This record gives sequence, C-alpha cells and structure tokens, in this order.
Amino acid sequence: MGWESRERGTRRYYTRSRWVDGQVVREYVGSGPAAEIAALEDEYKRQQREEEAAFWKEEKERLEARAAFLGELAEASEVLLRAHLLASGFHKHKGQWRRKCGS
Amino acid sequence: MDLELPKDVQDKLAALQALSEKAENGDKEARNELRRVLRESAPEIVLRASDIGRRGQWALIKTVAANNPLTEEALMARLDLMHADIAGPDPSPLEILLVKRICSLWLLIEALDMLVNAQLSSNLPREHRTGMSFLRDILKWQENVSRRYLAALKTLAQIRKLQSNTPGIQYNTQINLR
Repeated sequence: MGWESRERGTRRYYTRSRWVDGQVVREYVGSGPAAEIAALEDEYKRQQREEEAAFWKEEKERLEARAAFLGELAEASEVLLRAHLLASGFHKHKGQWRRKCGS
Repeated sequence: MDLELPKDVQDKLAALQALSEKAENGDKEARNELRRVLRESAPEIVLRASDIGRRGQWALIKTVAANNPLTEEALMARLDLMHADIAGPDPSPLEILLVKRICSLWLLIEALDMLVNAQLSSNLPREHRTGMSFLRDILKWQENVSRRYLAALKTLAQIRKLQSNTPGIQYNTQINLR
C-alpha cells in the first residue's frame, strides 16, 4: 500500500496490494480526495491490526508467565518419582521401571 | 506472585537427583542414603510444590475466568472435583503432587482453548483477528500441553500399578489344536 508518482507529472497515485488466490494483486485506487480517504482508511485498519496483534501477544505472554509454575511442579514430581521408585527397589530397564528381584 | 520453588527446596531436589543417579548406577550406599534423604525431604518438597501448584492454579483460573466471579467459582469447584476424583480416597504424597500437576495442565489446556475459541469465534470481527502465525503458536503450545497432560496421567497410572502389590491381570488364552 502506498503512494506512487509517475516519472512525468507531479500527481501522486494511491495503490493498495492484497492477496488474491495466493498472489499479490496491486489495486489502483487513484489520486485526489477519494484516494486520500482510502489511504487514511487503510492506515487506520493497519494500526488497528497492529494494536490487536500487540494485545493478543500480551495475552499470550501473560498466560505463559502464569503457567511457568508448571515447570516447577514437573521438576519436583519427576525428581521425587524417580527417587521414590529407586528407593522402593525399582530399576529402569529399557525405559521401563521394574521391581528388582528379591526386593 | 512468586511461583518458584525456594532455594532450599531446589537444593533438596538437586541432592535427590544426584543420589538417584548414583543409585541407578548400582551404588548400594547411595540407595540407602536416598531412602534416608527422601524420608526427610519429601514432605517439605511435596508441601512447597503443592502450595505453588495451588497458587498457580488460582492465577490460571483468574486468567480463564477474566474476572468473572461466577466462572471463577465454577472452575474452582470443577478443579476440586477433578482433584478428588483422580486422587482417590487415600493418595500418597507423591500421588497428590502428580494429581496437582495433572489438574494444572488441564487448566492450562482450558485457558489455551479459550484463546483459540476467542480467535475463531464468528462473533469476532475480521479486523480483530490476529494473523495465522499467532494461532499456529497457540495450537502448537496447546498440542505440547496436551501431550504433557497425557504423559502425567500415564505416569500416575504407572506409579499406582507399580506401587500396588497385586500383579496386573494377565489373560492367557490356550488353543488346543489337537
């Protein structure tokens, strides 16, 4: 999206690009007040999209921070689990916990 | 909100880890020492980790409920019910910790579901939707959490099976050909 000026002449032309069937298509909007309005409209939409993206990114980061405790829970339970099984006479054999013979 | 294990608990976990490694390599002394250290430190580790789990769950509930007290209450009640259901009548401290982990993961799945649903909702105007990369990120995270949730459930089932004295039921079918 943007303003373009041709080699000859002083007028600026507004064009916008959009995706159509997986391809970028550049749409010619023109010049004058109608083009100015279209440009302002596009700028407003772009800003709105950026704000939305920032909002959702913040939400995701907030959730990530709040879910960080799960790492602590996982660590504590995994260490305790392993220690508990070893102390109870189990051993790991090919990735599986088995009870030692005679224990 | 501080949701990290305190330094002394982390040290105890590190000591257990080191002893477990030695015991796993066949060191009998280390196995005996592991039993002693486990008896001494496990109650505090379970207590502290469970406390973090409880506070973490509350923080997640606040996020999912978006300050709606009714949803907060409903989620809390559902979580309590789930906790009691999975833990059963007489859970060991280790089981309590695993159940806390399972319930917390379930809650995170709910929170991520909420994020995805909000994005895919037909009520959300097109201009309020984020790009595909955001959704992809969330879906990937959701997949990862679901995998951890299933793994935690499996671990709990395994530990119960290993701890029980009764051997697993084995079905043998004999077919006589003659």
